[in-house]
Amino acid sequence: MKRLIQLTVNGQAHDLVVTPVGTLLDVLRDDLGLTGAKRGCDLGACGACTVILDGRPVNSCLTLAVEADGSDVATIEGVAAPGRLHPVQEAFAVHGAVQCGFCTPGMVLVTKSLLDECPEPEDRQIREALSGNLCRCTGYVKVLDAVRAAARRLRAREGVR
Amino acid sequence: MAPNPSRKRQSRRGAAQSGMSLSMENGIHYHLPETVSEAVGLLARHGAAARALAGGTDLVPALKLGILGARHLVSLRRVPGLRDIALDGDRDVVIGALATLRAVATSPLVEHACAALAEAAGRTGSPLLRNRGTLGGNVCLDTRCWYFNQSEAWRASRDRCQKAGGARCHVNERENRCVALFSADTPAALMVAGARVELAGPSGMRWIGIEALYSGEGRAPLALAPGEIVTRIRIPKPLAGWRTAYVKHAVRESIDFPILGVAAGVELAPDGTIHAARVAVTGARSAPVRLPEVENAVGGRRLADVGDGDLARIATRALGPLFLSDAVPHKRLLAGLMTVDALARAAGEDSGRRRS
Ligand SMILES: Cc1cc2nc3c(=O)[nH]c(=O)nc-3n(C[C@H](O)[C@H](O)[C@H](O)COP(=O)(O)OP(=O)(O)OC[C@H]3O[C@@H](n4cnc5c(N)ncnc54)[C@H](O)[C@@H]3O)c2cc1C
Ligand code: SF4
Repeated sequence: MKRLIQLTVNGQAHDLVVTPVGTLLDVLRDDLGLTGAKRGCDLGACGACTVILDGRPVNSCLTLAVEADGSDVATIEGVAAPGRLHPVQEAFAVHGAVQCGFCTPGMVLVTKSLLDECPEPEDRQIREALSGNLCRCTGYVKVLDAVRAAARRLRAREGVR
Repeated sequence: MAPNPSRKRQSRRGAAQSGMSLSMENGIHYHLPETVSEAVGLLARHGAAARALAGGTDLVPALKLGILGARHLVSLRRVPGLRDIALDGDRDVVIGALATLRAVATSPLVEHACAALAEAAGRTGSPLLRNRGTLGGNVCLDTRCWYFNQSEAWRASRDRCQKAGGARCHVNERENRCVALFSADTPAALMVAGARVELAGPSGMRWIGIEALYSGEGRAPLALAPGEIVTRIRIPKPLAGWRTAYVKHAVRESIDFPILGVAAGVELAPDGTIHAARVAVTGARSAPVRLPEVENAVGGRRLADVGDGDLARIATRALGPLFLSDAVPHKRLLAGLMTVDALARAAGEDSGRRRS
């Protein structure tokens, strides 16, 4: 039995018809064409499918679309205006924190949500926040560099304002 | 639930186009009740074919692997009032079953009432999972097994096991009885806290001790009546001098289920004498278990007077023989060491010890 749901994705409202077992990831990738959230393990263990659901990063592969009805979703496509980079994205690029790139959207979203909540994280907090996002190119050191740099950039920007 | 090779070979794209994730079966019904009585009514009506759906972080993987054995999902998300964490008067902390693990892990009320619970919740899965996974879902987690929590293709290479509806158990061949492991993190801490659980069912509400929630059966680990759900969890106000800790060992520290988790609580006199202790272990059997022999061995003494080696041996013996269903042959020895660690941390005597 299909159901009608409403999702706000990156600020835009959508009415969607979904099956009871379709996940939020299926809807984003296949119905809305937002392929930034990746299908990695598809079982909640890798974090490549991370999106921000009502303000918190979650595994979209484990979230049934019907359960997200009425929610606000932010994906990697919405973090910066088209053609521009969010400071977190820029820090990942500058610090070489991207290798194959499959885990990057999830890591960027988790980093953004960490820094929104905690602008001056300790390394322990950064590691903890990113502990559900696996990188199989094994590039965590540069990811940590990028997150620290992004935190500095964002704090400086706040200071200027 | 016979394996269906044509579905198994369905292409990723094909699966996506039909609005399903890979290997998810059709014919699933989703219910969205607005009240507790509506929810338990639906669960009672559909019996074994129905499951409560909380955060879905264990249920959705089971659905994808084709091991869910239920066709009706009864979502609890609209049921009001089950997300709160609050003090009941100035005494107990009452936690709604739908409180997220993140909320439990970061709640000052929980931290004060039972540090081990905050710690266990904060070490369950990853931060992403804790943002959706709930305390109720953790307490009601299904048991796990190497032969069961696998893809359809993996399982198709041998007979369906008992938990999957077949006749044989591939682990406990001699008794031919399912011994799948209960591996949720928080219940060990809840046992140490002396937590009580509120159940709602078709015939009303009742409170039981957390230990009575578990049947000890690998196939059906919860001792719930048909239609019953967990609605609240109550942590009694701690006694003066009561301190708790949780120690977890997993393959990857960041995300995995515990190979073992040990929670300890001690009622400590100012001179370090332990008046009373509680120790509970998760990951060893089909239910979380207390270790009364250990509790008795430290009661009335100081930890240093018991000796780590003796204490570890008592814990290992108390746990008894284990099935090696997850291929961790050193689990009994590990349980001994972790019990020492957990008691030492609870008693504040962990300086110079391994922190895990
Ligand atoms: C990669 C990965 C790693 C994980 N690591 C851990 C770990 O380290 N430790 C750990 O403990 N868990 C772990 N989990 C499992 C899971 O994320 C947690 O146990 C979580 O707490 C489950 O809660 P939920 O709300 O998502 O439950 P759901 O998936 O919604 O439900 C789980 C089970 O409980 C039942 N249920 C849920 N709520 C109720 C209720 N109120 N009353 C009665 N029955 C109910 C459901 O019917 C279902 O059988 C992991 C999962 C994944 C995917
Ligand atoms: S213990 Fe036996 S019956 Fe139970 S899940 Fe494992 S193989 Fe199946």
